[in-house]
Amino acid sequence: MADLDIKEKKDIFTEEFLINMGPQHPSTHGVLSLELKLDGEMVLECTPHIGYLHRSFEKLAENRTYTQFIPFTDRLDYVASMNNNLGYCMAVENLLKLDITDRAKYIRVIVAELNRIASHLIAIGTFAQDLGAFATPLFYCFREREKIVDIFNEICGNRLTYNYIRIGGVQSDLPKGIEEKIKNFIKYMRSKIDEYDWLLTYNVIFLARAKNIGLLRKDIAINYSVTGPNLRASGVKRDLRKDRPYLVYDKFEFNVPVGVNGDAWDRYKVRIEEMRQSLKIVEQALGSLPQGDPTVKTGRVHKPAAGEAYFRTENPRGELGFYIVSDGSAYPYRLKIRAPSFSNLAVLPELIKDAKIADIVCISGSLDILMGEIDR
Amino acid sequence: MLRSMNNIITGILSLIKGLIITFNNNFTSATTLQYPDEKKAMTERFRGLIDLYPEKCVACYQCVKACPTACLAMTHKQTDEKKKITNTFTYNIELCCFCGLCQQVCPTGAIYMNKIYEITTYERNKLYINLLNPEKYDEWPHTSPK
Ligand code: SF4
Ligand code: SF4
Repeated sequence: MADLDIKEKKDIFTEEFLINMGPQHPSTHGVLSLELKLDGEMVLECTPHIGYLHRSFEKLAENRTYTQFIPFTDRLDYVASMNNNLGYCMAVENLLKLDITDRAKYIRVIVAELNRIASHLIAIGTFAQDLGAFATPLFYCFREREKIVDIFNEICGNRLTYNYIRIGGVQSDLPKGIEEKIKNFIKYMRSKIDEYDWLLTYNVIFLARAKNIGLLRKDIAINYSVTGPNLRASGVKRDLRKDRPYLVYDKFEFNVPVGVNGDAWDRYKVRIEEMRQSLKIVEQALGSLPQGDPTVKTGRVHKPAAGEAYFRTENPRGELGFYIVSDGSAYPYRLKIRAPSFSNLAVLPELIKDAKIADIVCISGSLDILMGEIDR
Repeated sequence: MLRSMNNIITGILSLIKGLIITFNNNFTSATTLQYPDEKKAMTERFRGLIDLYPEKCVACYQCVKACPTACLAMTHKQTDEKKKITNTFTYNIELCCFCGLCQQVCPTGAIYMNKIYEITTYERNKLYINLLNPEKYDEWPHTSPK
């Protein structure tokens, strides 16, 4: 083999390798497509491509009445429909300058926090699955989520797209006996979160796989306007429920968990702690739930005065904002949605750069991106 | 060498710790149902397919106006004594998003949502429902007795 055809050194060269991950990849959580430029095992560049789930919601809103758009907000972040309903309805109420009853505020807090737990359960379940803990943690998370879904099914009659929070209150009062069920669930869930700590959080293999992976520095996170658990995992204590309390959040005692390093494990851990805090909030809200009729009587068609309103709430994935412009008619003139996942996805190329190809799934899974609200 | 041995041992220990949790679940009751033999009962407020009590309907068109996806369509007849009755009333399941806005605005409770949730069919035209036909859902699987 002495006379191989290699005459000069320049005949041997290395080339960057371009691969497409998604949009049908099982680990991209929806229809996200990543264009990756690889050098061997290292990622040189990553370009996310979005738009596969675009349904033109902002345009659709312009020929729907204010009430008719609520079912559409269910389908933005479909894992946390209640929180979306809440953000939109509060924005419209701001525009209408409508005050809601105390009981409605408490009910809204209860359902929003329960939905936050359900959403975080999916986030950590799928994250564990992405890391290779196949099926078991995911099924456990779904088992617990099922209990929340059952409670919601009883409250509003649907299991995924709730359409429960309405302009001026809620669809209907809490059904009889549901408070007992929620209290039982809180007790049950507390023991299960401790179980997750055994099963995952401090598991050596899990730690080796998630610690020091996908470090998100504080300044980068702020520059990309990352919000929610991802920002808090980087050590920034920012939570709208504390910083700009809406509804009755200022009446409850809870902590805002923050991470230290901003790696994938911190993001996971912040979610676990947030579930504990949410349980605490639900417990306090149930304890001080006022009596009475939750819904204020409003007309069927809302016609806010010409003007604009912006309202943001703390969604499980970050800050969700609704900007509504009204021209005085029954339809919004313009509606803009600030989706938290959009900014959280924007920072992904920064994190993936110079990472190993095996860690891509871990990093994107830890950010908990949801395509429904990115493409909207 | 010592380090990798240590890694392997701690790895195995944490595996065992996880397996204990999994093993303990053997003694809890089953959380799944043997579908389709067993079916979950839907709650009182469950939002299934749209159904109608034709005799209650006063043809006020509130439900048609409230629907965000325009899947309800109706026409009415004017009877002599200033009373309106429905002439046709159709429902397109394809477009329905089960939001329940129609049942909430109905002044007489004529339109309501039943408990049917197994809504798949082989033929598309079966999704266009004539709500005035009393036998419209007879061939759909019923999850709770009518
Ligand atoms: S449930 Fe919603 S989408 Fe379906 S018919 Fe009623 S209003 Fe229309
Ligand atoms: S809202 Fe009720 S009464 Fe009015 S048209 Fe619809 S079904 Fe009939």
